[in-house]
Amino acid sequence: MSEDSEDNNSSNQNEVLKEDVNLQYHLYILIFAGIFYSSWVIPGICFFVYLLQFFLPNVLETANILFVFTKVKPLLTFLIMPLVLIGCYLLHLFLLGLVTKLFWIFTEKMSPSKSGIIPRNIRSRAANYYHIRSFMIKYGKNAFTKGALPWLSNWFFNFVGSNKIGKGTTLEESLVNDKFVEIGSNCYLGVNSSLASHLVQGIFGNISYFKINVGNNVTSSAMTQIGPGSEVHDNSYFLPLASTSKHSIIKGNNYYWGIPLRKIFRKKIMEYLDVSPQYLERNENIEGYKDKELLTKLKAKEISKTISENISVNENLISESDEETIDISNLSKDELSLDFTTSSAISRVNIKFLAVYLPIFWVAGLIVSIFWYWYLLYENWIPILAFLPLAIFGSIYFFIVACILFCKLFLILVNLIHKPKEGIFKAEIGDKDFEFWMLRTELKKIALWFMRNSPLPWTDVFALKLFGIEMDSSSHLNDAWCDVEFIKFGRKNLIGQGASIMSSMVVGKYLIIKKVVCDDYIMVGGLSTIAPGTIMGKESVIGALSSTTVNQVLESLWVYFGFPAIKLKENKYGEERRDVILKRDVDKAKKFEMEHEVNIDEDKKDLIKIEKEIEKS
Amino acid sequence: MSVPNTMRVGPFTPTILARKRYLIFYFFLIWASIIPLLLEFWIYWQLLWSYSRPVHFYTYLPLLAFLMYVTIVFAAIFFTKILLLIINVIHKPREGVFLRIPADRDYRYWSLRNTIKRWPVWLAHRFPFPGILDNICFKMFGVKTKISNSLFEGWVDTEFIDFGKDVVVGQGAIVQSAVIIGNLLIIRKTIIEEGVRIGSHSIIMPGTHIGHNCILAANSVTTVGQELEKGWIYVGIPAKKFKKNYFFEDGLEEKLGHVEDVEALRKKYEEIYTKRYDELTYKERKELKKEKKEKEKKRFDLEEYDDYEDGFNI
Repeated sequence: MSEDSEDNNSSNQNEVLKEDVNLQYHLYILIFAGIFYSSWVIPGICFFVYLLQFFLPNVLETANILFVFTKVKPLLTFLIMPLVLIGCYLLHLFLLGLVTKLFWIFTEKMSPSKSGIIPRNIRSRAANYYHIRSFMIKYGKNAFTKGALPWLSNWFFNFVGSNKIGKGTTLEESLVNDKFVEIGSNCYLGVNSSLASHLVQGIFGNISYFKINVGNNVTSSAMTQIGPGSEVHDNSYFLPLASTSKHSIIKGNNYYWGIPLRKIFRKKIMEYLDVSPQYLERNENIEGYKDKELLTKLKAKEISKTISENISVNENLISESDEETIDISNLSKDELSLDFTTSSAISRVNIKFLAVYLPIFWVAGLIVSIFWYWYLLYENWIPILAFLPLAIFGSIYFFIVACILFCKLFLILVNLIHKPKEGIFKAEIGDKDFEFWMLRTELKKIALWFMRNSPLPWTDVFALKLFGIEMDSSSHLNDAWCDVEFIKFGRKNLIGQGASIMSSMVVGKYLIIKKVVCDDYIMVGGLSTIAPGTIMGKESVIGALSSTTVNQVLESLWVYFGFPAIKLKENKYGEERRDVILKRDVDKAKKFEMEHEVNIDEDKKDLIKIEKEIEKS
Repeated sequence: MSVPNTMRVGPFTPTILARKRYLIFYFFLIWASIIPLLLEFWIYWQLLWSYSRPVHFYTYLPLLAFLMYVTIVFAAIFFTKILLLIINVIHKPREGVFLRIPADRDYRYWSLRNTIKRWPVWLAHRFPFPGILDNICFKMFGVKTKISNSLFEGWVDTEFIDFGKDVVVGQGAIVQSAVIIGNLLIIRKTIIEEGVRIGSHSIIMPGTHIGHNCILAANSVTTVGQELEKGWIYVGIPAKKFKKNYFFEDGLEEKLGHVEDVEALRKKYEEIYTKRYDELTYKERKELKKEKKEKEKKRFDLEEYDDYEDGFNI
């Protein structure tokens, strides 16, 4: 393969390499299998042994419930059972960390992770091991941060060696934060704050992979985005949705917010946080307030004040209630145009749907229980215990596949009764289109929910295809929130983490359903929102944290950014492969250039144009 | 549609541990809530198990699994509620600005409350049937909400929040009643009235009061204690009045249009943020400044200012 690309390049120097970017899951899956198997086999054996040796004879076989509670042995077995479950879970987590660490060390030896731009369209060892590492950390990361004991995730990252996290730091659930980040102590990173050490620019472009350094006592409340190569120094406080681009330097000892990031003044922060200066003073001199007695004294003074304030606020609420009538015919076009984007969350929870859920759950579960019946039929315990992780994995996927098939069956029936169609409908009970839209969404949700929570979330492409997205499996959207009808994808699209692609949108009383069309090689940045009716041309890019408006058309080969997304620059990431990066000093609002080394194998260095050569030509 | 694994922003309690010993409560809750489960399984085993012909046992097993999951959630809610009542008697949860250090009693108890609430909320949020169990959790732990509200696609804090009827929280949106900024922990009551639509990826800070039939567009942020007037559409960071909301009127199906010139819209949008100050006459400007000064004096009881720049924000 590498020879091919070299030939191409030598024959035509100016042409950009647009070799297909293959995600080599077939190889990575072996690593996943190793991690999965070895993390489940020992806990599984422990649990089974306890279940069969102690719990079954002592508790389940006891016919009289009174004996369970009056005799010592059954009672103990009964009460220890939950502890065994917790213990097995902890053991699973530990083994998960251990095995991931072994694989991590191996990949680091083969190709150490270092800061630099990795070309995405040239096959190289650096790119390959970068992908392997990103893939294998995902299972452990999700198991820890989304598991029952998220407090252990710091241990996991430190133990594996993907991140360095200091003492007393709390990382909330997030989209990335999983590798090449160094965080100091006593930090708090709120929900969805992502320290993205890697960033993909264009399908044929580069992967920016730079280390992020975060100092001590840095806090961010929610959804802060920090780009690769950033340096965040001590005592930087981010307000929600503060986001910086690549290579930002944040000096610290201040509050920051906005897109792009900027520091804000004392006065403004008081307005935004609605706090008095005395609290800001406390924030700065936190060391002086680490005394319990002092704090209780201070608080006693403040309590009486806050209570009186609260009452006055409540009176305000009651007083504003006056109705006015609006004449629809007088409304102007401007007032009724959909020049903003909202969400597509289903507007009410309905217990009725349990009628659909239970049968699907039961029938799919039946297949799993038949499987287990067959599995436990052979009384030879050694293979049963040895293949236990496989059986767990198998039963998860039997269940999911059965779920998908039955959901699809229901879906066909539902669509026969009422054909899904585009248009603007009333989002109220009683409107047929709206009710069937909800039913369809809920039906698909069961199967997709299971699939996306399974150990291999990217398999959801098959479910999405089956449920009605026109796409092939070369696109990657398992990290995105995506409606599953009226969407068309071309080839090799990359949808960023947490982006939402909506073919339906609830605005006030109305539900808007409109087809979203994406051509080939699209990129959508993380946390951006695609409104219904958006048409994206070939090789267009939408930056992170942007949103399109209804029926917006994005031209091909352009990069769009902002609310609403407008043209930012041409998509030339395929051509640009520079060894010069632009650093940004946030506090002084200055930019300066720095050189770095492109991260690619030695024998492929000649494929890359460096800055000096570009100047020469 | 289904929220991806990487973005599922529940369970809705911060993972801060002010003291490591709070985990003892957590483990106790896990232990206690599994006990009823085992009893249930014992009954099922006694009823349906037979060594020679376990057909019935395996047939109804999925239904039992469903039931057991619901049982463990309710058991967890029950034990947590009892624990929570005891903790709240020792230290009443209250609003205010606190410090993010373990010496601060309010911070400690806030962390403890979140730690013990995590187990039931986590369980409820892992359940494939969306919303119902989440909403029951919210109701039990002191969030005023209707069962029919859909709050499960985003992050919603579990105390000091009031929801009206028919509220939609968009995918990935964050509704907070407590926020950590620097060394401060700000807890304020958030009130969201009837018929509010919150766009995807938008953030609502503590103390926000959203009037009814308001729309907060996608990717917007409110400030602490901001009041959003009823019947308006708000947009931006921080959220600003965009236009009046007529989308709750009947009979607009034919009339809703889309934007043709997006760049003009962007300009209009940026105007909301940049105009206000320069377009006013000198007199008006002076009055505005005076008004603002008085307002802040009232709010903060302060006499003098430091350097202050009225920079715009987008």
